[in-house]
Amino acid sequence: MNTTLKEENNELVMYFEGRLDTAAAPEAEKAVAPLKESAGRNIILDCSQLEYISSAGLRIFLSVLKSVKPKGDHVYVRGISDSVRAVFAMTGFINLFEFK
Amino acid sequence: MKKVNLDQHGEALLQQYRDLRPTLEQLSQQAYDLLRQALAEQGIYVTAIEHRVKTEQSLAGKLELKGAKYKSIDDVTDLVGMRVITFYTDDVDKVAVIAKRIFDIDWQESVDKRKLHQLDAFGYNSLHYICRLKTGGPRFELQMRTALQHVWSTIEHDTGYKGVVKIPRKYKRQFSRLAGMLELIDDEFSRLRQELTDYRRQIQSLVKSGQLDEVPLSLESFRDFIEQNHFDYLNKRIAAVNQAEIYPVSMMPFLPVLESFGMETLGDVQRFMEENGEDAYQLALTQLAVTDLDILSSSTALQYLCMVYVLKHDGGREGLRFIFDTINGESEANGVLAEMMLEQAETLPFMQKNQ
Repeated sequence: MNTTLKEENNELVMYFEGRLDTAAAPEAEKAVAPLKESAGRNIILDCSQLEYISSAGLRIFLSVLKSVKPKGDHVYVRGISDSVRAVFAMTGFINLFEFK
Repeated sequence: MKKVNLDQHGEALLQQYRDLRPTLEQLSQQAYDLLRQALAEQGIYVTAIEHRVKTEQSLAGKLELKGAKYKSIDDVTDLVGMRVITFYTDDVDKVAVIAKRIFDIDWQESVDKRKLHQLDAFGYNSLHYICRLKTGGPRFELQMRTALQHVWSTIEHDTGYKGVVKIPRKYKRQFSRLAGMLELIDDEFSRLRQELTDYRRQIQSLVKSGQLDEVPLSLESFRDFIEQNHFDYLNKRIAAVNQAEIYPVSMMPFLPVLESFGMETLGDVQRFMEENGEDAYQLALTQLAVTDLDILSSSTALQYLCMVYVLKHDGGREGLRFIFDTINGESEANGVLAEMMLEQAETLPFMQKNQ
C-alpha cells in the first residue's frame, strides 16, 4: 500500500495505491493525519489505483470525513473502482461520501 | 464628513469619548460574546446579533443637537449599542429575560416601545434596555425586536430622517398602517409556530403509542420513527453476520425513496419493514457473509429493505439504480452497482417466487 499527499488547485489530494487492508491501515492512518488537521480546503481521496478496501480502510475514510465535515469542507472519493464502490454500498456508506 | 459645530462643553464630551474609545470597543465585544453564548445555551435561534461602538461623527451630531442634556459622557447611554433581531415576537421576551439575567439593567432609562403606543396607533415596536456588565463599566444599549419590526424601523428611519423635507401626514399614516400589518404578521408567525409545535407533539405521541397509520409520512414523522429505533433489530441482525460495529449515520436520505414507493403513513413504513425484513436479511447475508467487513452504517437495514422492495415489485436494475441515484446523486456508476447487486440477489428465494 502506498499513499501520496499532493496539493492540487487548493485541494488536498491523497492518492491510495494497492490494498488498503488491516495490515496497511496503521501506515495509512498516519498518512491521513494532515488531512484531518486541514481546514478551509476540500479533500480528495483518490482511489484510482486502490485495488481493495477492508473495514479498516473504511474506518480511515470515515475518520477523515468526521474530522473534515464539521469544518464545512468536503471530502470527495475519486476514481473508485466498481468493486470498491460495492464495498461502500454493501456496508451502507454509499450515501455518506461524495464520489467524483 | 458633515461639518459639526460644537460648543466648549460638546468638545469636552467628545474628548472624553475619544479617551474612552478603547474601553468601549472592549465592552462591545464582551457584551456581544456574553449574550451570544447565553442565547446559544438556551437554544434561542435569532436572525442576527449586531454590535457597534458609536462613531465619532454620529456622536458629534448628537451632541450638536442635544449636548447640553449630558453632564458627562457617561450620560450618553448608546455609545455601545447591541441589537438582537429575532424571528418571533415571543423570542423578544425570551431574549429580554436572558439580558436581565446576564446584565444589570438600568430600569430608569429602559423602555418598551411596544407599550408606548395608544390602542389605536401603530409604529416603532422595539424593546430597549440600558445595561451594564455585572462587573461594572460604562452603560450600553440593547435593542430587541423581530425581523419584521427591524425591516419597518430601518425603512422608516431611512426615508423619514434622511430627507430635509418634512414627511406629510398621509405618508406617516401609511407607515403606521404598515406597522400594524407587520404586527399582525408577527403574531401570525408566532401562532403558526405554536400550532406546529403542538402538531409535532401530537405526532410524537401517536408514534410512541404505535398508532402509526394515523401518522402521515413526513420529514418530522420519519425522524421520530427513526429515533424510536424501529430499524435497530434488523441492523443488529445484519451486523451479527460479521460481528460488525454499527456506525451511526442519517437515514433521512431514504425518505424520498420510501415516498417513491407510494408510502403515505408510518404504518406503511412499518408494514414495509415487516413484509421485507426477512428477505432484506437474506440479501445482506448473501453479500456480507463472504466478506470480513465488520463495520456497517446504521442505514444498512433500510437500504437492504428498499432493495428488496424494488426487486419484489419488478423494479430490477433500474429500480436499484434509482435507490442509489436518490441517496447519493445520479451517476452512471450507480448502474454498474445496481447490476452487481441484482446478480447477487438473483439466487434468493424471493426472486425465484417473482419469476
